[in-house]
Amino acid sequence: MPAIVAEALTKHFTPEIRAVDGIDLDIDDGQIFGFLGANGSGKTTTVRMLTTLLRPTSGRAQVAGLDVFSQPGAVRRCIGVALQEVGLDDIQTGRELLQLQARLYGLASSGIAARVQQLLDIVDLADAADRRVKTYSGGMRRRLDLAAALVHRPKVVFLDEPTTGLDPISREAIWRYVRELNTSEGVTFFLTTQYLEEADRLADEVAIMDAGKIVSQGSPADLKSSIGTDVVTLRIDGGPDELKRGEAAVRRMEGIEDVRIVNDAVIVYVADGSAAISRLVLLLDEASLRAREVTLAQPTLDDVFLQKTGHHLEDGSVAPQAEQNALAQSKGHGR
Amino acid sequence: MTLVLHDTWYLMIRALKESIRQPALEIGNVFIPMFFFAVTVGAIGNVAGKAFGVTNYTAFQLPVAVLQAVAGASGTAGLATVGDIERGYFDKLMLTPAPRISLVLGRLAADGVRVMALTILIVVVGLLFGSGMKSGPLGVVVLVAMGGIFGLAYSGLGMALALKTGSAQAAQLGFLIFFPLVFLSPAFAPKAVFSPWLRFLATINPVTYIVQGMRDLVLSGWDPASLAAAFGAIAGLGLFTMTLVLLALRSRTS
Repeated sequence: MPAIVAEALTKHFTPEIRAVDGIDLDIDDGQIFGFLGANGSGKTTTVRMLTTLLRPTSGRAQVAGLDVFSQPGAVRRCIGVALQEVGLDDIQTGRELLQLQARLYGLASSGIAARVQQLLDIVDLADAADRRVKTYSGGMRRRLDLAAALVHRPKVVFLDEPTTGLDPISREAIWRYVRELNTSEGVTFFLTTQYLEEADRLADEVAIMDAGKIVSQGSPADLKSSIGTDVVTLRIDGGPDELKRGEAAVRRMEGIEDVRIVNDAVIVYVADGSAAISRLVLLLDEASLRAREVTLAQPTLDDVFLQKTGHHLEDGSVAPQAEQNALAQSKGHGR
Repeated sequence: MTLVLHDTWYLMIRALKESIRQPALEIGNVFIPMFFFAVTVGAIGNVAGKAFGVTNYTAFQLPVAVLQAVAGASGTAGLATVGDIERGYFDKLMLTPAPRISLVLGRLAADGVRVMALTILIVVVGLLFGSGMKSGPLGVVVLVAMGGIFGLAYSGLGMALALKTGSAQAAQLGFLIFFPLVFLSPAFAPKAVFSPWLRFLATINPVTYIVQGMRDLVLSGWDPASLAAAFGAIAGLGLFTMTLVLLALRSRTS
């Protein structure tokens, strides 16, 4: 049985602001699914719909075999959610917060203390368990938030940008917990991220979201091999004019799949990169241009992202108004 | 129903912990009703008998102090909910299978408990200064319960505004609305001495019946009709504010 299914899932805040524009998902049980996209691409809005926090404009979705919109209570019993904005109560201690969470999920009183202690041990917060949450660092808060999402042993866990803003050690720790839970308990993870490395290292399958639509989907290896070429990056001395001339010059070479200008470089997609480099440099030389740096690489998810969306992931927001709208939905008045 | 009560109970405990761990936030809620109680009785108490035939003005004012305690506490649930929304904790609670009504009732019930604690304090001070309690110890229990239920019902207004707007300023609007309601009731003088237009407004004001019900417990003893009117007014107000709360809660997911 698929863990998550969505058909033509859509959320339009206004006719112009199409945060999510008819996406389809079919995520197998036990997968780690990476939902990759820039700020404002519609990732958070998708998570809010799949976790019953937001009604869609149209479309349908099922989580753990339950209809998200007609059985929201049953869905909430099966899922764990750690949203992008860590949702904690500063006045409680870490232990109290988990205990309350356990009670609200209906865990038997006799088992709550042991389950809470187990989770505190898993996320390395046992020593800080009786301190108020307001004294926790950013990494500790993330870990507590993750523990709160796991208290009732959910089948499906949604993590919305779980490592954004964390230092590398805390990030590694979160990845380790996700992998362990996925392996040992078969928990399905739906993980949104804007970190390519995170998607590459954690996810069994990745969907690339851009401007409210899924533009590509597959395993990280399949997505990278779909490019079918090496990637040669030519950093050229000069400004935008030189870059345009450089692009025109290298396009003359036979066997080139694609050429793009990205920031201060010309990116060339070519089947045999090592054989093409000398010819590319020669073509630049003939155009009176000098490459100050030439690199050859296998395609990364960033290259896939660039090819599918026309921009790098770190280039910034695609539809920031949609994300702001979703944020306003959660913080301010409802619509 | 059991689930609603179970989850409401634990969320109420959590809300009360906030008061215990941040006692400074409660200073105003204690000080304001006590201050106005003392000042009003001190200023008008000696002339109240001649002016409008009230000989025990301390007893006459005791319910007003309780109403002011309700006004003070009425913003707490809404303000705290705005804090939960801003911190993202409200979403965390919304993601649990807890009945959504429990998420708001927990905080509103905590406001009710705060008002009950303040009412006990006000009654003790009133008794020390000669208010008496014609309905006896059971009357104190009913008065405290009435204050608590009214506090819970009235706090629903601030809660609805908090849920709808996510704004701290809006959440405190209930506090501002409370003052016209008190001044348009026989809070400071009997309705009999009001001019006709004010008497009309007092008659349609639900707070009038709540003040009168509480006042009768202190000054006159048991009056079933008066108590029924008071509890009826509280129930009507509660129905109104809870409807607003549920509509606001629903709007948060649409």
